[in-house]
Amino acid sequence: MSRVKDVWVFTEKQESIAELCAGARQLGERVTVLAVGSRDRIERIIAFGADRVFYLGDTGADRTVEDYAFTLSKLIEEEAPDLFLFGATKRCRHMAGRLAARQRTSVLSDIMEFLTDKDEIQGTQMVYGGAAVRTLASKSATVFSVVGSGVFTSLPEDADREGDVRAVDFVEPAYRVRCMEKRERGGTSVDLTAAKRVIAVGRGIAKEEDLKMIEELARLIGAEIGCTRPISEGVNWMGRERYIGVSGVMFKPELYIAIGISGQIQHMVGCNQSGVIFAINTDTAAKIFSQSDYGIVGDLYTVVPVLLEKIRAAR
Amino acid sequence: MKIAVCYKLVPDEQDIVINGDHTISFDKAEWKIGQYDLVAVEAAMRLAEVAGGTVSALSAGGKQLENSKLKKNILSRGPVDAYMIIDETMSDADSYQTAYVLAKAIEKIKDVDLVVCGEGSSDMYAQQVGSQIGELLQWPSVNAIGTITLADGKLIAERMLETEVEVLEIPIPAVISVTSDIFQARIANLKDILEAGKKPVVRWDLDDIGGVPEMSTNVLSVLAPPQADRRRVIIGGDSGDQINEFYEHLRKEL
Ligand SMILES: Cc1cc2nc3c(=O)[nH]c(=O)nc-3n(C[C@H](O)[C@H](O)[C@H](O)COP(=O)(O)OP(=O)(O)OC[C@H]3O[C@@H](n4cnc5c(N)ncnc54)[C@H](O)[C@@H]3O)c2cc1C
Repeated sequence: MSRVKDVWVFTEKQESIAELCAGARQLGERVTVLAVGSRDRIERIIAFGADRVFYLGDTGADRTVEDYAFTLSKLIEEEAPDLFLFGATKRCRHMAGRLAARQRTSVLSDIMEFLTDKDEIQGTQMVYGGAAVRTLASKSATVFSVVGSGVFTSLPEDADREGDVRAVDFVEPAYRVRCMEKRERGGTSVDLTAAKRVIAVGRGIAKEEDLKMIEELARLIGAEIGCTRPISEGVNWMGRERYIGVSGVMFKPELYIAIGISGQIQHMVGCNQSGVIFAINTDTAAKIFSQSDYGIVGDLYTVVPVLLEKIRAAR
Repeated sequence: MKIAVCYKLVPDEQDIVINGDHTISFDKAEWKIGQYDLVAVEAAMRLAEVAGGTVSALSAGGKQLENSKLKKNILSRGPVDAYMIIDETMSDADSYQTAYVLAKAIEKIKDVDLVVCGEGSSDMYAQQVGSQIGELLQWPSVNAIGTITLADGKLIAERMLETEVEVLEIPIPAVISVTSDIFQARIANLKDILEAGKKPVVRWDLDDIGGVPEMSTNVLSVLAPPQADRRRVIIGGDSGDQINEFYEHLRKEL
């Protein structure tokens, strides 16, 4: 018998509330969402599958989401939930870490799968850059976990569902960080996971303008473009939603073409389930070759233009 | 300003050996400083250079911390000294244990104004230790810091969240975790490496800082996932004929 009764959910985005509510339903008996923000959201949260909503309040000029850490901490002490699930965003991660520390425990991070049929809560996560999968059991009274995105599938929204709503008193933070300004962060919202064909580039690309040739290749074969983490976070040539790997997108396109990518494990775990993998790299010893179906030891600046010519000619 | 920057020694994941039963072995692994911790050291150094102050390196771990090359490596990047809590239990410590020991060490170092952590460790990458140290010290903490300056005794920082940037005012003392691209880690020159050998290293064991709590998790297994079999048809050069051969394979998949 599972000992998991009360499962709490804290997350920022609407979609992930639905996912985590579905997960919480699956793992425990009663689902409670801790909600910060506009009160109008409460009904939808119940429709997504919450049995209870603890409404903490809204954010504003003098109150940030982080300021609610002390309120949340007090609630955990009073109610001792069995499991507390957090979304996989930076803000949620930070909140989870702080709250867990206050309960003298660690967070099960980026859990891909939960097992609750034993009398403990177990989770699996990738470690060593994706080289291994670790299964952990938490020993804490309240188990804290950051749930990998897409682990649970949302249930259909049910507008007739009923749930309890409780407004929670704000606990004045003992220490806080002031937010002076917020700005939107640019970036497109491409969903690489939907692409059947992907061309990914790494640091073998010397200049940003050389991406044009890759874009042309992608256009010709109907592929999306992705990259390694340094191309996105290091030099900022592509948005963060385009980098592939353990800390980025993980997917299984039918065709994956890796250009100027060394094939480090952190990158490869994101794409090694692809249907067929092609690689272009100057270095015979590059790790990518042992993980590819077809490879060419060659300069991308020689190989790609010839491929472009041939593909154009064949059309 | 006195800054402590935290770092972790990790086995090089490229040296992992997968055994027949899918368990993994690090027996042949080289140890290195976490990739994102090097970025944190750089961020701490830049802040100290601009705002005035010193940087101390701080780590908890197993006997690899004694490795003189790794000690020189961390100190060649600018810190004036290093503090190390060395005990075998710390090589498998979970994030709470690590945060606990580092927080105790920070109290013992005294007068630390700012703790800087990297985005996450290169091995477990739980991205938790900075947030937890803050709570244990009861100092404000923030993650995902992409820029920092000091103004009127407070930090002004930009926090890079998924879809927004927050401009924050952080009172000190505080704990921050920086993004992986706040700066490029520097490459030390020979002089820096030579000088690093002369910098003081303070070693503590767990008793010096009052012990460590028990692990809050049980590790049940660590297994390599099954690998897809690949054809590995590798063409050894990029002459016209060879590119054509590569293209022919590609054409069949289009
Ligand atoms: C905790 C953690 C998480 C990480 N998460 C990710 C992640 O999710 N995704 C990710 O991608 N990385 C991730 N990384 C980084 C990862 O370890 C590697 O650093 C990164 O994947 C390497 O990117 P790269 O292959 O583009 O660059 P490099 O390793 O520098 O490789 C460049 C390659 O290009 C080749 N090359 C150079 N010139 C040419 C040319 N003219 N023609 C053809 N080939 C050429 C070189 O031979 C080389 O093999 C993570 C690291 C850590 C520590």
